[in-house]
Amino acid sequence: MTPAVRTQQLKKRYGSRTAVHGLDLTIEPGSVFGLIGPNGAGKTTTLRMLLDIIRPTSGTATVLGQVPQQGGPALRRRIGFVPGELRLEGRVRGRALLAHYAEISGPVAPGAIDDLADRLGLDLSRQVRTLSKGNKQKLGLVQAFMHRPELLVLDEPTSGLDPLVQREFLSMVREARANGQTVLLSSHVLSEIQQAADQVAVLNEGRVVAEGPVASLRLGRIRRVRATFDGVARVLLAAELERLPGLRDVELADGDAVRLTATVDGDIDPLVKLLARFRVLDLAVEEPDLEESVLQMYGSERGEEANRVH
Amino acid sequence: MSTEVLPIFRRSIGDSWRSLLGWSLGVAAALFLYLPLFPSIGGNGEMQQIIDSMPPELTKTLGYEQIASGPGYTQGTFFGLLGFLLLVIAATSWGSGAIAGAEESGKLELTLAHGVGRAQYAIESALSVLVRLAWLGLLAALIVLALNESAELHIEPANIFATSAALVGVAFLAGATALLVGAATGRRVLGTAAGAGIAVLGYVFNAIANQVSDAEWLRAISPYSWAYREQPLTEGADWGGLTLLWGLALVFVIGATLVLRHRDITG
Repeated sequence: MTPAVRTQQLKKRYGSRTAVHGLDLTIEPGSVFGLIGPNGAGKTTTLRMLLDIIRPTSGTATVLGQVPQQGGPALRRRIGFVPGELRLEGRVRGRALLAHYAEISGPVAPGAIDDLADRLGLDLSRQVRTLSKGNKQKLGLVQAFMHRPELLVLDEPTSGLDPLVQREFLSMVREARANGQTVLLSSHVLSEIQQAADQVAVLNEGRVVAEGPVASLRLGRIRRVRATFDGVARVLLAAELERLPGLRDVELADGDAVRLTATVDGDIDPLVKLLARFRVLDLAVEEPDLEESVLQMYGSERGEEANRVH
Repeated sequence: MSTEVLPIFRRSIGDSWRSLLGWSLGVAAALFLYLPLFPSIGGNGEMQQIIDSMPPELTKTLGYEQIASGPGYTQGTFFGLLGFLLLVIAATSWGSGAIAGAEESGKLELTLAHGVGRAQYAIESALSVLVRLAWLGLLAALIVLALNESAELHIEPANIFATSAALVGVAFLAGATALLVGAATGRRVLGTAAGAGIAVLGYVFNAIANQVSDAEWLRAISPYSWAYREQPLTEGADWGGLTLLWGLALVFVIGATLVLRHRDITG
């Protein structure tokens, strides 16, 4: 099956600054693909290249089987796009603005606009300039989803939306996937990617630093551990913990009881065996969220770079 | 596929009808203010005395030598001065706003992410500027025509339309310049500067040529001279001048289309 999006060694340079370094991405049709990374990582630049708003310096991208520049308007009708920095102004009313976008995108089914506006709680009779940031963002979502495009390219789509609307948005994404539409979603809100995406690529400084199924990134081998002990001296516990491999960020606090927080990287079994020898009042073992995993990846990346320099 | 025709053109007109109404009022006000005064100040020789007492450099700069005749008065007050100013400012602001302004406001990115080609966008934008200017030109011509008799202007009706075509031509050239520079740079302020610049330089070159006979060659590169040097209100359409104005404007529109196709949209 032709990938919905494929980039090969895709590169974008602005003068001496390289925004995207040789990006290789493959997005399967009917999947939700998350692009995450901090601001300035190259997410927006990459998405704009897929829409032919900007052109790559080198490398290729194919979108729905076509090169964006050659596919032209006909290709873009098959795509729904929410720009990263959505700015809408003017006296035009929401409904009239959407009617304009409906003319220049794929065919919109009757009632589709009202259905989407109802779902998101958007008043279409108001002038665009009077809308709040969140309501403008809703307009952006409606114009991207209304023609049921084969591919949705959404750049930070939930910025400015309140949590209830974010949840509605996530269910719209799931429905799109169920319809066989492909969704490419960029975000720096990692929980959003965690909930919506099948596959993830982590972008940092224009490079993919990690890629794979969202589960593989999230699970990892890292656990946060919190425990409270009774009837044990802090020094004794500290000495025991010293000997455990893969234990980091150990903090012990005295009080009525001894409190431990630590990060386990690797096998959890030795820690469990050690804990079992004491009276444990409370225990929490958590998998870190994507944010922590990503930070860890960036951390190790930076660490390696630092090592190379020294 | 969309079956609607000229979506960008229609949106542009729909977004700007209020401003067009304002410009229309401005044009009408200028004409209704000046032309009815002609019988009382221009036609009775009093005006000629005032003009004769003014420094000749000033009258030549303003193009007031013919002010005692109806066509000269209409040319000197409206087509050569206020109307020129109004239409050039409107054209420049519309021309620089159509591409560069839309790009700076982020509107262009979203529009071009839909099923709209770059060339289509530039051409429909230019058409929108042209249609709005043509409306102002037509309005001016109709008002002059309506006042022709009561204000004792004695202008040949066909010449009114010929002069209006020259006015719209010189304004559209300024607008097309603003569009081209805006399309090339994406910066509204540069488009505005270029559009206003070509109009002002044209006016200044023409004024210099009016005073210094050695500088007559400046008329050859002044769009203002292309429009008015043959005195179309008395002599009728100057096809050579009109061809230059409209031809160069067309070249600039094509240029805008080509440069927009070959660059990144920022904003």
